[in-house]
Amino acid sequence: MASVELTINSVRRTLDAAPGETLLEVLRREGYTGVKRGCGSGDCGACTVLLDGRAVNACLVLAAKANGKEILTIEGLASGDALHPIQEAFLDEGAVQCGYCTPGMILSAYDLLSRNPTPSEGEIRQAISGNLCRCTGYVKQVRAIQAAAERMRSARHE
Amino acid sequence: MSERAREPFVVVGKSVRKVDGVGLVKGKPKFVADVDLSDVLHVRILGSPHAHARIVSIDTSAAERIPGVVAVLTHANTPATRHTTAGQGYPEPSPYDTRMFDTKVRFVGDRVAAVAAETEEAAEKALRALRVTYEELPAVLSIDEARAHGAPVIHDEGDSTGIYDAARNIVADVDIDVGDVGRGFAQSAVTVETTCETQYAQHTPIETHVVHSLLDSDDRLVLRTSTQVPFHARRIVAQTLGIPIQRIRVIKPRVGGGFGAKQEVLLEDIAGWVTLRTGRPAFVCLSRAEEFVAARTRHPMRVRVKLGANADGVLQAIEMEATSNTGAYGAHGLTVLANTGSKTLPLYNKAENAHFYGQAVYTNLPVPGAYRGYGATQGYFPLETAMDELAERLGLDPIELRRRNHIRVGEGSPIFEKLGEGREGVSQTVKSCELERCLAVGAERIGWREKRGTRRREGPWVHGVGMSIMMQGSGIPQIDMAAATIKMNEDGSFNLLVGATDIGTGSDTILAQIAAEVLGVPASRMIVTSSDTDLTPFDVGAYASSTTYVSGMAVERAAGKVREQILSVAAAMCKEPVENLRLLEEHVVGPAARVPLAEVCRRAMYSSEQFQIAATASCVPTESPPPFLASFAEVAVDVETGRVKVVRYVAVADCGVPINPLMAEGQIEGSIVNGLGYALTEEMLLSSTGRVRNPSLFDYKIPGALDVPALDVILVGSYEPTGPMGAKSVGEIGINGPMPTIANAIYDAVGVRLHETPFTPERVLAAIRREAAERCPLA
Amino acid sequence: MGNTRGFGGRGRRTLVSALGDRNNRREGLEGVVRVVELHQIQSIVRPTTPSEAWSLRTAQPEATRFLGGGIDLVLYTPGTVTTLIDLSGLGRQGVTADRDGVAIGAETTLSELLEASPIASYAGGILVEVLRHVASPLQRNVATVGGAAARAHPWSDVVLAMLVLDAEIEVFDGASRSVPVAEFFATQAKNVAPLITGIRLPKRPSTARGAFEKFGRTGSDVALLNCACVADAVDGGVRNVRIAVGGTPSLARRLPEAEAALEGEPLSTARAAEVASIAARVVDAREDRRASESYRRTLTEVGVRRCLARLAGEDA
Repeated sequence: MASVELTINSVRRTLDAAPGETLLEVLRREGYTGVKRGCGSGDCGACTVLLDGRAVNACLVLAAKANGKEILTIEGLASGDALHPIQEAFLDEGAVQCGYCTPGMILSAYDLLSRNPTPSEGEIRQAISGNLCRCTGYVKQVRAIQAAAERMRSARHE
Repeated sequence: MSERAREPFVVVGKSVRKVDGVGLVKGKPKFVADVDLSDVLHVRILGSPHAHARIVSIDTSAAERIPGVVAVLTHANTPATRHTTAGQGYPEPSPYDTRMFDTKVRFVGDRVAAVAAETEEAAEKALRALRVTYEELPAVLSIDEARAHGAPVIHDEGDSTGIYDAARNIVADVDIDVGDVGRGFAQSAVTVETTCETQYAQHTPIETHVVHSLLDSDDRLVLRTSTQVPFHARRIVAQTLGIPIQRIRVIKPRVGGGFGAKQEVLLEDIAGWVTLRTGRPAFVCLSRAEEFVAARTRHPMRVRVKLGANADGVLQAIEMEATSNTGAYGAHGLTVLANTGSKTLPLYNKAENAHFYGQAVYTNLPVPGAYRGYGATQGYFPLETAMDELAERLGLDPIELRRRNHIRVGEGSPIFEKLGEGREGVSQTVKSCELERCLAVGAERIGWREKRGTRRREGPWVHGVGMSIMMQGSGIPQIDMAAATIKMNEDGSFNLLVGATDIGTGSDTILAQIAAEVLGVPASRMIVTSSDTDLTPFDVGAYASSTTYVSGMAVERAAGKVREQILSVAAAMCKEPVENLRLLEEHVVGPAARVPLAEVCRRAMYSSEQFQIAATASCVPTESPPPFLASFAEVAVDVETGRVKVVRYVAVADCGVPINPLMAEGQIEGSIVNGLGYALTEEMLLSSTGRVRNPSLFDYKIPGALDVPALDVILVGSYEPTGPMGAKSVGEIGINGPMPTIANAIYDAVGVRLHETPFTPERVLAAIRREAAERCPLA
Repeated sequence: MGNTRGFGGRGRRTLVSALGDRNNRREGLEGVVRVVELHQIQSIVRPTTPSEAWSLRTAQPEATRFLGGGIDLVLYTPGTVTTLIDLSGLGRQGVTADRDGVAIGAETTLSELLEASPIASYAGGILVEVLRHVASPLQRNVATVGGAAARAHPWSDVVLAMLVLDAEIEVFDGASRSVPVAEFFATQAKNVAPLITGIRLPKRPSTARGAFEKFGRTGSDVALLNCACVADAVDGGVRNVRIAVGGTPSLARRLPEAEAALEGEPLSTARAAEVASIAARVVDAREDRRASESYRRTLTEVGVRRCLARLAGEDA
């Protein structure tokens, strides 16, 4: 089996990956179970990961295309016991229900806030428009992302 | 408000964090598919290409020769037991009309065979290598065809039971009468009648159905499955596979959404059989397309409603006739049909005459099952649009018409007694109802008085407002049963073991809050386990809006017993009578004492009169107090394209005391947005041969973050005296609102009544044009 | 490759959608997973020049495919494909403005294009508006401009924009050449479709304006119908009018009769309505499961009229 070299959550790894395998298959096989499969066709966003800093559907990216690149999965977001402010905000605002879409939604938010620290509500909705959630009405996720943006801004100013 | 004084709650009524939240936001391996899959047999299922056919032969030889293929399952080598996939209380009110693998297929996607192989790829290749010979049969592709004289008989097998009239494709028949509707209509000043048709729609949990099975070291079958009904799943798998319940353990880990879809035992039998036959772990996970084609849907219905009212707008008679399409199998056929009447008609108890009747019929189409709202959703659409029409005919404000007719505290309805869960119901009196306030608050928030009837125009967009009201239930009285076990640990924490099934609803958290409230600890001191049939006591599962009310009461009772044990130990410790002691902030507190709970437990565990502080309690509810909700919407209709934009949606709910307000809001927000999709965009399209034409989230459009309006959910406080800590249910009711509310708002905007869902731009535009042509035939 | 995407992985749907269900039916394989097809892929090669890529591709037309962003390959790869030719080594990534207009490398992602400064004000910013409406950021971060042109889904917003912007497609099929976009899509590839290396947008006067309308079922849906108009506003009238409609359900096409009716004329409300009704009449509208023919004509009329109103500076 061919292999790919990926930097996953800041750790450099060489992983087996057949040429036709998607990033989703490879990551899940390696135990990154926060990358969820919801459709396998890029329609739901449950498998969202960051590829060189951009949120993508892991089910639509061939692992080979990610060779040499950096990947951030939900497992890499918290540092030890300290949750990332987006994770904290998702808990505080009641944005998590079943939690299956949550990792993807959080990573899309992370991508947004990394390039736009003061997003409008419309920009937030646009940023998570590829992440479907069937439990919530998106109200609390939008609020959580707003709250996280605020927390991250004030953390930067301290 | 109840006579019982409302207690000042410490934990209940607070939006504490989800007890399972941290793991979820970190992506921890909490779901079925997150286990190590390196040693499993991958199972894939072959679906029928025909809507109705006899299987003449299945040649499995080529498939079996594919390297890695371990087992091929067909009707020839699997148990033939008839059962229902509906996870309901036993005996189920659904017919036993299903076999693991049948000799006949009854819808496109129906199970033909399954393959277990070392890799998904080998399993998939083997599916393609199966050679099946079918004898095609004429198919029944609508409720009208099903009921036509001489229609093909879908369940012509002799061994199915519980079907009302198999020869005529009728699964269930309901007919109940209160008073005399003929007389009621005769004495009415105004009558209106409307018929609505609802579509095939699907739950689409983001996690599809999935199960992992293995044999443990004692050769017991362990099923780790994404289910709403772990105990029913255990019983049905035992029945289907012909093995003792004792030999099965069902574990429900976190579940990625259910909404009723997982109140169905769809894959556990196959996984179980593969594991029993091979001794190997097995993994079955539906693809998204399979979920659409072969999992469950909402029952499409045609419902006719006729209302009669006197000149003051007081209803004299309600007639509701429902025809439900229950697809190829009858799971939930009877009970969804019955709920269409039983969860709607009591709302308008002023009508002394009521008639509900209808049938659920088989078709060779995808199989509906339980789906949030459970028939009520299909009933409220015609009922509440008819009420809107009636208000107009009477020259009454629609809110005022509701005020004159809705049920109130201290009142009952004969429907409660006559129509229950597929059998007679239970008489009950409403003990909490804040509909009056829901209406007032909602009208104010949406701007009802300023906006109604104004047809404000912005370019091609015309605005309108509409409303509707609804009720649901809280569990199934005298049928549901829930139990909870609480045991104390020596650090003052508690294990809360519940069969109640958190499927993302947050029930673990609110049950922990209820227990914590009784035990005087923060919710974080409860370690919640749900659900594991080996470890947790019985609970029927997550359906029928039962968990908060029924399981909540079981938890409250168990906590009460544990509290008594704690107090009695503490009484001995601090030599105070029990009556002087209470539990507060993780201590037993008395006039002169303050003992940490941990010390109480340590004493009971290690030093004096030792015993485990623990208790189990059960609850069988004797009634099903309805939550109430008033919903309001402002829409804008693009009169050039027919597009309907919901500008604002306001839902004001009386769910009793919300145990966790943020989560209660989340339940309502989610059910509303699900309902919005149902009202506007979601529709399974079926071909002329019965095939689902859009089995993907690419082409079956559920709402995304860009598609939801400004959404105001308001919980008006009330106190349900029979409920745990004053609570009622909240999970389903919201989904009933969008269809009638939006339809009524569209009427307010552009003067057309829509009777068919979803309200796609093309349908709305056609209705607008039809209306214009009728109004002005020469134009 | 590709911008927007297919029907949950059931291949070739777009080509036969007008023919009804029968052609799409894969007996007994409802819900097929694509693991079998994808696992046929044995190797991914990464050439560094177009001619190398082209030789690899033409040497084995059935067994190879070009790999851009890869979305459509994941969704549609036929089982015959054993080798993917990764185009990321060709160095065709990035957006540059020069004297002659804007050059877009084929491997530029839609997100990169959306954020590129040369297109922010190009023809009144129409490309930004179009790209914001393509699928979701998750897909725009992967899909490439070249892939969008190569795949050319019938509902493609990107192809629609290229048409009204007089884009040229830079291709390599043995030699480098530039093909006007309309010609590119009108010509059936003989054996192997040429390798797309870039897109070039001509220089535009500052008077150029563009408008775009898309009708979908949800905010991130593909178009039930989309349309775009571009024109240069000069004193007394508009010039170089381009009007195109897509998702009809066929791939976008320009509507010369509608364009001619506006060329050189002042952009009045009445004229816009007239042009829109011409568009609705001539558009190649057909029924599919998402919309009827007549509804698509209605949307064409409304869409073109609204685009023109926006060009005229009115809010519609």
